[in-house]
Amino acid sequence: MAGEVASAGINEAGGPPEWLSLALDAPPLDVRSLLAQGVDPFATVMEAASAIEFGGSLVIDAPFNPSPLRRILAGRGFSSYGRKLNEGHWRVFFHLDGGADWESGADVEVGPEGAMSWREEDGLHIDVRKLAPPNPMLAILRLVERAGPGETVVVHHEREPHFLAPELAERGWRIARVSSEVVNVRLWLERVI
Amino acid sequence: MFPGSFMMGAKDRLLPPSIPYRFFAAAAFFHLLAWVLLLVGNNGVLGFVGGQGMTLAALHLITLGTLAMTAMGAAIQLLPVATRRPLGPVWAIKLMFVLYAPGVALFAAGLAHSFTWAQHGGATLCVAGLALFGGLVGANLRKVDDLPGVTRHAWLAVASLIGLAVLGLALVVDFTKGFLPDHTSIAAAHAVLAGYGFMGMLSAGFSYVLIPMFVLGSAVPDAVGKRTAQLSGLGLVLGAGGVLIGIGTLSALGALLGLAATVVYLRGMLTSLKTRMKKRLEPFFRLVWVAWALLPVSLVAALLPALGAPLDPWAELWAFLLVFGWLLSFVMAILQRIMPFLASMHSSALGGKPALLSHLSPKLPVDIHLGCHTAALVLVSIALVGGWVWPLRLGLIAGLAGAVAFGVYTVEVLRRYRSHMAAAAANQQG
Repeated sequence: MAGEVASAGINEAGGPPEWLSLALDAPPLDVRSLLAQGVDPFATVMEAASAIEFGGSLVIDAPFNPSPLRRILAGRGFSSYGRKLNEGHWRVFFHLDGGADWESGADVEVGPEGAMSWREEDGLHIDVRKLAPPNPMLAILRLVERAGPGETVVVHHEREPHFLAPELAERGWRIARVSSEVVNVRLWLERVI
Repeated sequence: MFPGSFMMGAKDRLLPPSIPYRFFAAAAFFHLLAWVLLLVGNNGVLGFVGGQGMTLAALHLITLGTLAMTAMGAAIQLLPVATRRPLGPVWAIKLMFVLYAPGVALFAAGLAHSFTWAQHGGATLCVAGLALFGGLVGANLRKVDDLPGVTRHAWLAVASLIGLAVLGLALVVDFTKGFLPDHTSIAAAHAVLAGYGFMGMLSAGFSYVLIPMFVLGSAVPDAVGKRTAQLSGLGLVLGAGGVLIGIGTLSALGALLGLAATVVYLRGMLTSLKTRMKKRLEPFFRLVWVAWALLPVSLVAALLPALGAPLDPWAELWAFLLVFGWLLSFVMAILQRIMPFLASMHSSALGGKPALLSHLSPKLPVDIHLGCHTAALVLVSIALVGGWVWPLRLGLIAGLAGAVAFGVYTVEVLRRYRSHMAAAAANQQG
């Protein structure tokens, strides 16, 4: 497994966290099949997390970066380290160590509302799932306002944010495309030309 | 998927715009009609402590016709989006309007001219419409467990609605049968449940969603909403119960609990405002400030009759500050903001550019409305306390002028929205 992860390229600035070597041997819990069946895997993951003892690890395979889950488990003392292995396949390592450095080594930025944002080839991504309204709207608008010219913002939401469109329009942006999956509604935001 | 289909893809939650707008247009119309009736029947305003006539008819055009009508129009569109659950079939919502709007008109006509048949028929239609609304909201809320700040207030509003409807029907029948031991006390309890209970709880509950969203402020913590719901619920039981059983100190205690809830509510709102992204507040917020200032003032005014001050003028002043000061100011502020907001949400349905909020909202009519509404509040309050006719008439003229300005605003928002949609349709065909 170590080879598999290494070949996927987890060599970011600062390198992986020291605890990763402990987590590599844990069998991954693959929630992609649950999501494909339309089942929210949150309860399954939380049940697995509750069985982990201090110093233990949990590995989750998901079709996307499960940012809300990482936030929630961080609140329960888990540090996390995630990487995109290939298209539609993320592996996230959780380590129960108090969660003091849960963002360590992660290539994400956490905004004041708790939204995670990161950059991918197709644009600036932001995950606002599990945030209380209107914090998703605030986080998205904050990111939109600092996006570079011609940059696309990709939003990971848990629902279609109807109230966002008027505020985007005021800022010269629009929702260009939407795709809906279970617990992951994606919106591609672009500047109105 | 394109923006148009994005909006159309949520048919379960996003209603056709004509549905909420019929409620909003009716609210603006009844608002105008209420001020006309107050001006026409101004001889009965000073010293009013109940009884049929133009004043009671105008009061119900505001409470049922404007406040509750707006709450219904806003709730049917906002509640399903906020809770992520459908409110109910569209036919039920249309039926609600078909029952309720003529019911309000008939009931007001019956009160104004002492037509018993119109009072009974209108009240029955209104209660049927409100019962349908309460049933739809209750069914929606039953499945919601992640918005405790909002849902607890909505449940209190539904409970108050049941109480006010029962008392209201009893009061209407009492006009002809005379079976109630103390008509005035029942009317006061009905007013407490309607003003602070039904409308007050809907206003507070929706505030926790709408105000942060409109100013782009941080979410209000659930703990704040839970606390205001607890204090308000207890205050409503003591306030209305004290009036019903004739123990003024209980009612005063209810008002004090209401004041405590107000302090918690306003602190929660101000904390959200401090973190807002929009540094410059929009014009609608001027009316929100007026409403927020007059909510605690109305509760202080409620203490006076509760502790034995004469009903004329103190009960009348309390009712005016509650209905026209706190609730009407707040509801008109929300109506002013929500009409162009919903129009903008729907404006990209044909796939074109969405209409900008700023382009849909004419500023002059709302400036005139604000000035006239505020002048009416000051002049009528002074007239009620002093028993002076001329400030009253000037205040009523100002209120009517403000209502005309708001009517112009409503028509203009709809005209601009239709114009945008016509242009979008032409572009699509071209």
